[in-house]
Amino acid sequence: MNILMPQLGETVSEGTIITWLKSEGDTVLADEILLELETDKAATEVPAPIAGVLTRILVPAGQTVAVGTALAVIEPARAPVTAATAAGSPLAETPTTASWPPESAPADAPRGRWNREPKFDRAGQPLSPAVRRLVREHALDPTAIVGGGRNGRIRRRDVLAHVAGAAPAAKALAVLPTGAAGRLVPFSRLRKRIAEHMVRSKATSPHVLQAVEVDFSAVVSARAKYKAVFQDRHGVTLTFLPFVAHALCRALAEYPALNASIEGEALRLHDDVNLAVAVDLNFEGLVAPVLPRAHTLTLTALATGIHGITQRVRSGKFSADELKGGTYTLSNSGSFGTFLTAPIINQPQVAILSMDGIHKRATVVESDAGDSITIRPIGVLAQSFDHRAVDGAYSAAYLRTLKGMIEARDWEAALQA
Amino acid sequence: MSQAQASRAAGDSNPDRATRLKLYRTMLEVRLVEKRAYDLFMQNLIKGTSHLALGQEAIAAGFGVAMRRDDYTFCTYRGHAHTLVRGASMVGVLGELMGRECGLMAGKGGSMHLTSAEHGALGSYAIVGAHLPIAAGAAWSAQYRGTEQVAVCFFGDGATNIGAFHEALNLAAVWKLPVVFVCENNLYMEYTPIGAVTAVPHPAADRAAAYGLDSIIVDGNDVDAVYAVAMRTLARARAGEGPSLVEAKTYRHSGHSRADPGKYRPTPEVEAWMKRDPLPTYRHRLLELAIPDAELAAIEGDVRARVDAATEAARKSPPPPVELAFTQVWADGGFAWRN
Amino acid sequence: MEELTYREAVARGIAQEMARDQSVVFLGEDIASAGGVFKTTGGLLERFGPKRVRDTPISEQAIVGAAVGAAMTGLRPIAEIMFSDFLAVCWDIVANEMAKMRYMTNGQVTMPVVIRTANGAGSRFGAQHSQSVENWAMMVPGLKVVAPSTPADVIGLLAAAVRDPDPVLFFEHKSLYGTKGLVPEDTLVDQLGKAKVLRQGSDVTLAALAAMVPRALAAAERLASEHGVSATVVDVRSLVPLDTATLLREIQHTGRLVTIEENPRLCGWGAEIVSIAAHEIFYSLDGPALRITTPHLPLPSADNLEDAVLPTVDRIVKEIVETFD
Repeated sequence: MNILMPQLGETVSEGTIITWLKSEGDTVLADEILLELETDKAATEVPAPIAGVLTRILVPAGQTVAVGTALAVIEPARAPVTAATAAGSPLAETPTTASWPPESAPADAPRGRWNREPKFDRAGQPLSPAVRRLVREHALDPTAIVGGGRNGRIRRRDVLAHVAGAAPAAKALAVLPTGAAGRLVPFSRLRKRIAEHMVRSKATSPHVLQAVEVDFSAVVSARAKYKAVFQDRHGVTLTFLPFVAHALCRALAEYPALNASIEGEALRLHDDVNLAVAVDLNFEGLVAPVLPRAHTLTLTALATGIHGITQRVRSGKFSADELKGGTYTLSNSGSFGTFLTAPIINQPQVAILSMDGIHKRATVVESDAGDSITIRPIGVLAQSFDHRAVDGAYSAAYLRTLKGMIEARDWEAALQA
Repeated sequence: MSQAQASRAAGDSNPDRATRLKLYRTMLEVRLVEKRAYDLFMQNLIKGTSHLALGQEAIAAGFGVAMRRDDYTFCTYRGHAHTLVRGASMVGVLGELMGRECGLMAGKGGSMHLTSAEHGALGSYAIVGAHLPIAAGAAWSAQYRGTEQVAVCFFGDGATNIGAFHEALNLAAVWKLPVVFVCENNLYMEYTPIGAVTAVPHPAADRAAAYGLDSIIVDGNDVDAVYAVAMRTLARARAGEGPSLVEAKTYRHSGHSRADPGKYRPTPEVEAWMKRDPLPTYRHRLLELAIPDAELAAIEGDVRARVDAATEAARKSPPPPVELAFTQVWADGGFAWRN
Repeated sequence: MEELTYREAVARGIAQEMARDQSVVFLGEDIASAGGVFKTTGGLLERFGPKRVRDTPISEQAIVGAAVGAAMTGLRPIAEIMFSDFLAVCWDIVANEMAKMRYMTNGQVTMPVVIRTANGAGSRFGAQHSQSVENWAMMVPGLKVVAPSTPADVIGLLAAAVRDPDPVLFFEHKSLYGTKGLVPEDTLVDQLGKAKVLRQGSDVTLAALAAMVPRALAAAERLASEHGVSATVVDVRSLVPLDTATLLREIQHTGRLVTIEENPRLCGWGAEIVSIAAHEIFYSLDGPALRITTPHLPLPSADNLEDAVLPTVDRIVKEIVETFD
């Protein structure tokens, strides 16, 4: 049966094969991963739908093909698989014809048949002839070799180093010798997309940053009490993030112009809060998957939902459509202990909230008994907003509301809802 | 033909009997070999193209008989005649035309490039005019070496309008080279009359003055006249007095090449020239000079038999071995352009 | 050893061979009394006399044709074509007659002709006096093609060309005439068909010819000092016969090939070397081959325009760095 390029989301029309994890002639089990591929939205793996022998790879790594294109052929397990059919082309047995006048035959060419050796590295870049020859001679797996050339290209010396067991000449990220000092590291596809989006956002929206200090005592208290139970019941660590998410969904209900997007000279106010959550991909990029209709979710559902989508994104197993439709974005640098982050708006939204580190601070508390100094967990919430859409007072009022909700809400009740 | 008649200078003596018989035999050999070549075309035994000189034999024969054995000739793609008159074998010529191993160049040159270096026939040149400077170079070599050899260069009327003609004439005149340039003016380049595209009526002779040379026109269909001019110009060259330019008026009986029936020529013109066919007219002159018919008939029988024998020998010769195509690009015998 | 200019080496090489062999004669425009328009042949007339050193009219067909006729009849002529661009006006004699005569006559005729000519750009002479036309000759079966880059090579290769029984086109480079080099004082005879390895490296092999050789060497220095790239430089010297053994060996060693050609882009000699490498040592190539040539243009005259189109050291370094690894 044919393995087809899957539809990785409604808006995805094509995909690029990153690498084949199986070679022609390999026996594969059902659900065993055959290949990795990438679209504009995401990277994913394609498992074998049936057990059998991978007889043909029709699209090599590195190529981009349309959804529905046959990528490979698997013969079902019971079908007899002979060496001849595995070799594929009938041309394989065609003898070479003598030429006149006689010219010397290439001394370093593979003999006897059209060669089926690997032609691409794990990034889908073609292997140089010299590398292909060494891979053949040493029976190597080129996807296991780290390239030190441009864009991570495997050079002859990298294979020789690999064979010799030496450390690779360079890290997986490619290095180009240039006149300037330091190393030049080309952008990945994702990096290019991020770069393009960030520049566009800054060029489009006049950003204004406003921040408030929030006392997280109520949250800390509720979290301390329910953390273990929550972990047992839901298998998820209860972080501060869902509390903020829960609060902002309610605050946005009072300030709808921040849950909006600009269309020409109009502001579209969204009915639903589709909350985008910025997720770092182990320092190799940033995506913002969306929790649809977050304002309808309980605190628990928000906690498990954020956890789930973060995990899926980091493992690459998600639908590209999960990245679409956000109306407001929540970014979290707090786990690194940051004090303040000025985030860039996730277009076409009009505002983004950054949650930074929560630290115990000596705080002046006012009461009828007079002022006193107490230790309180304080965090900064910073919002960048599009000054075309709203003004500072509106944003500030929203932040004040948000702060109040976080500080005054009955979180224990919320957790039990 | 008044100019032709005028070209018989006062000092020109008539050839002796033996020379006349040799002139007749030489013309006859050329005529019969070329007729045989035509027949072999018809039998598809000769491929490619071929340019026959039927009707023009007196010029090649007159010079061929007059030349010294170690002199050089250079001729054109219409060069069967000039190669034969130097002594190249009929088998070698017919074999080359037929693409056989016995050919002068074993089939590597073909009709347009007949060469027999051992006979001083240093090539037939298929690019119009190219061989005039080369003939001058051979003459320069003879001059430098002091051998009193002469180079004779045959070319058609069409070559008089190409640059190489003028470059060669000038250099030969300036360096006083021992070379005789012989223009065979058969009135047509390929299809176009030479008179229609040339600024002067005598395309070679009228240009001679530009290089300080005498204007010499000879009846190219009168072998005695050609022989006399040949003797005179060869002697001048050998004496170190420099080059000559001879214009021999003649006419080809057939078209330009195998592909040309020659229909562009007016019938009265063709008929008039056919009456001046150099072979029957010369045979008639020899009979008038009291040479017995039987003696001429014996020559004719002998030449015919030799052409037949040469034809048979050439037909029996195998085609050249294919390996030959990969030889003699270089003096080491091979064709390697790399190590 | 003594120091000679490339220009002086031309006269030295001709004199060496004329003194050795009476059959060597020399002809061309302005070569005798005037000593050559590039002053390359001064003193030869005085030393060997007007019979052996002959001024000609401006008649390139007559010059080359006379050389061909003389060679066919026992001499070893050296003919000068003042600018290689002028080969076009006698190309029939060169390509149709001289090159093919031995083959067409199945070896009846031997053609020991040398045509010397001033080739190449750098003198602001414009499109008809600056071309690198060695590829014209390289494409014709039956012609040997040589282009020296140093005074010693001028003498050694000219001697080899004169002694060779086949026609040789000897391309001197106009912009090298003033360059100097050490030359042995005794007789110098080199060998046609031998490339020279001028510098050994490990990362990339540069193949260059004539005026591009010093530029390749300068580029190699900069690649090493500025970019840590170690380059081999091969002076191809002889296009026909082509020393593929040396070239392929040096390309295999580094796995990378760059040709540096002064000629316009299409059908340059470098394309032939790339093609041979792609066929015969494909599995030794560790990256794409690079041809650095003059773009496919006629040559302009103004200083900055001519410099802009020729391969300069800057451009060589830049293009190699851009494609390297």
